[in-house]
Amino acid sequence: MNTINKLAYYLVILFIILSINFFLPRAMPGDPLAYLTGENPDMPTRMTEEEREMRLAEYGLDKPLLEQYLNYMVGLSRGDLGWSIYYNNHVLEEILVRLKWTLLLTGTSTVIYMLLGIFLGAESAWARGKTKDIGCLTSILTISSFPSFFLGTLFVIFFAFKLGLFPLGGAKTIGVSYANPLEETLDILHHLVLPVATLIIAHIGGTYLLMRNSMLSVLGADYILSARAKGLSERYIRNRHAIKNALLPVVTMAALMVGFMIMGTIFVEKVFTYPGIGLLLYESVLRRDYPLIQGIFLFIAISVVTANFIADMVCIWLDPRVRDE
Amino acid sequence: MKKEKTVLTTLVVAVLICSAACIAFSATALAEEDRVAATDGDRIVRSVGGEVGTSDWRYPAPFTFYPRGPGYVRMSMLFDTLTWKDANGVIPALANGWKVSDDGKTWTFYLNKNARWHDGGQFTADDVKFTFDYMKDYEGAFTWFEAIDYVDSVEAVDDYTVIISLNEPMASFLVDIAGNMPILPEHIWSGVSDPDKFTGDDAVIGTGPMKLVEYNSAEGFYHYEANYDYYNGKLLVDEFITLGVSNAAASLKTGDVDEATFWGSAVDAVNEFVGDDDFEIITGPSFWVLQVIFNCDADGGYPTNNVTFRRAIAYGIGREEIVEQKLHGGGVAANTGILHPDAIWYNPDCEDYAHNATKANAMLDSLGFTEKVDGIRQYPSGADKSGDLEFVLYTTGKYLREGELIQAQLEEIGIKIELTPSDWTTIDSYLRAADFDMVISGHGGIANPQIMRIPDWPASTYQSEEYASTFAEQEVTLDIDDRKELVNQLQDLVAEDLPVYTLYHPYIWCVYNPDVLDTWFYTRDGISIGIPIELNKLIFLARYGDANENGKINMQDVTQIERMILELDDPTDMADATQNGKINMQDVTHIELTILGRAPIRCE
Repeated sequence: MNTINKLAYYLVILFIILSINFFLPRAMPGDPLAYLTGENPDMPTRMTEEEREMRLAEYGLDKPLLEQYLNYMVGLSRGDLGWSIYYNNHVLEEILVRLKWTLLLTGTSTVIYMLLGIFLGAESAWARGKTKDIGCLTSILTISSFPSFFLGTLFVIFFAFKLGLFPLGGAKTIGVSYANPLEETLDILHHLVLPVATLIIAHIGGTYLLMRNSMLSVLGADYILSARAKGLSERYIRNRHAIKNALLPVVTMAALMVGFMIMGTIFVEKVFTYPGIGLLLYESVLRRDYPLIQGIFLFIAISVVTANFIADMVCIWLDPRVRDE
Repeated sequence: MKKEKTVLTTLVVAVLICSAACIAFSATALAEEDRVAATDGDRIVRSVGGEVGTSDWRYPAPFTFYPRGPGYVRMSMLFDTLTWKDANGVIPALANGWKVSDDGKTWTFYLNKNARWHDGGQFTADDVKFTFDYMKDYEGAFTWFEAIDYVDSVEAVDDYTVIISLNEPMASFLVDIAGNMPILPEHIWSGVSDPDKFTGDDAVIGTGPMKLVEYNSAEGFYHYEANYDYYNGKLLVDEFITLGVSNAAASLKTGDVDEATFWGSAVDAVNEFVGDDDFEIITGPSFWVLQVIFNCDADGGYPTNNVTFRRAIAYGIGREEIVEQKLHGGGVAANTGILHPDAIWYNPDCEDYAHNATKANAMLDSLGFTEKVDGIRQYPSGADKSGDLEFVLYTTGKYLREGELIQAQLEEIGIKIELTPSDWTTIDSYLRAADFDMVISGHGGIANPQIMRIPDWPASTYQSEEYASTFAEQEVTLDIDDRKELVNQLQDLVAEDLPVYTLYHPYIWCVYNPDVLDTWFYTRDGISIGIPIELNKLIFLARYGDANENGKINMQDVTQIERMILELDDPTDMADATQNGKINMQDVTHIELTILGRAPIRCE
């Protein structure tokens, strides 16, 4: 019953997000046709009012806003995300060719930085005030405070340009036919190392600090004292009692971070020429490509809502008290 | 309990796999270089197509490419036109030769009999007739450059002769239509009713020197392979790729790409290659201008709608300082009359408004802006506006530096500028509504007087009977000297009335690795209707540059010789020879192709 309620709740949230997605881009000045005539074109072109109206009608942008909204919602319910004005292609197709790269990039780095952050945070808190803790704290805070684009640029200059260990950018080598799938996988992974490393370093600080603080407060709790009194081993107390309880806020934050991750990779995608969703969103906003902006927001919204849903479930599993509330 | 253990184990394994993978990639890094080299039996040319996120110019079919120069050239690799341009001017392409009637309204083209479509079909005059009819039927679908209105009818006289009849003479026909409109295969497009949504493999079948292997919008790359059956010369390369990179200079140095374009303020990056034996550099005119657009609207544009006021601002702006500060010398101060100094239409006598604050101040005083508060002039009493003489200057982030310099320069003559950076879409909406004072904006194409057509040209608030009639007259004037005179007048009008004030023309550089391909050149007056970039498909053809090495005659030499004989600039005269017995391009093509051992071409 609770789960169903939660599901309904998420559906309502999704509906509200969709509506905002629809109206927000249209509140910006300008329209999608401006970008068709382009900034700093190599050839100046300007549409006559007639041509403008013809084109607007072609994309259904001449209708009243409410009708456009209804059309959008009806299209969505049929799984039709619309037609990208700039790319002159289905929104879904344009998103899907990039989504796999974004998922690969953000997925890999999220898994690694979460695990690493949790592990180091727990270790740090456990060794509070000792050299290990202070060393960890100082070094992680230092490297995490580099902006990701700066760090990425350093990586490119040093590891790719100077040492030639990694490619300068891209998701895979362009124009090469692979002998077998393994070769292709290795090529993709080879391209993935530097951007993933950048994202891990950029994001690990938050998780680490949160885990450390959360762990510290848990360690001061009464049940840890009683566990100790019961004579349980230190390792058991740390892993069974402390870490498990300390994880709750970290899991919630991880879910919130999913959205930020997708948007936050824009810089990394730019520096590493990585063909992901972040760059697409950035360009689409500049181009006022409404259908594409809506489509991307939809995907981000869905992933955030899904991540929250999963986080809720994980929290219930971690802490049965949540279920009873 | 058990469940938790499983989770923990999974996590540990995941981390292990990840780190193992990381080590493995580093190890494969070196091995990979060998692999790429191993598949390198083909001659592959890689060219930088822009920065990541901006290297996509959409699907390179005739109706879907993004209607800008880079989009057009990506399409032009696949599709040929009747004529084309090389470093010296117009040359034959699908048409071996042509002639024009005395009234300038009837053009006869003699077509190449060896041209074939990529799918093996024979190219004939019917395809040409079909293309023109199709463009008329779907007017507006070819968003790149719309001039089909000039064409009245097209007739295929036989398989290899077409006659194109125009409604009125068109001075730029040989370039703007014959050298611009891609010829489509009738057997494919006759069944297509929504050209701008037609993007399959069939949509990219042309007669061009390249065939499309792969296009990827996400990664912004285009992968072509050579069309070895090309009718117009032997191919020098097997594959051609244009791709997006984040740093073109670094990619050139690591060998990831073989050629890249640099522009204006990137002069510092280019200087790094000067003296580097591994690379060569050619400099070209960008045919591009940055300008300040004024609101000349009679109702809402006060006081920028006053020509004396605009002149005062022009005297107040120092172009040289902007070129120095922003471009570090990577460009030249602009011609006030818009057209580029390297274009044949350039008018060198336009007023240049050399920086002169005294003159500017005197002009502003004469307009009544005499009172100053804190050094800022005040609107005269009784004017539409009051208070500080203050303007909003819109610019995108790219030209913020220029905006700051202008701001400082105009403050010296008592004009306050509120510099407002915005994105282009927003600025464009203000331009369209004539709701602005001044905008910094640039455009290219300034080798071709046709770009000065209002309202295409961004000075859309400018209204002048004289300008409009002079423009219309030059469009139909076939005599090159007469037309030049009219185009000179147009430039003088712009320089006098100042609907825009031009700032600078940047240079453009092509840096390339000559071991991979050394035939790069800049096209006379730009590719097609004036695209300043170096991706002319002729670079892939052996006849360009081959002759100097192997002693064979080539088309460049021939064109050069022919032009010297004829001593003329106007390509329309080339069709004269059959009538007056002089050597002409048709004969030359015939001779050259015979020498090169290709099937001879006979013209009726």
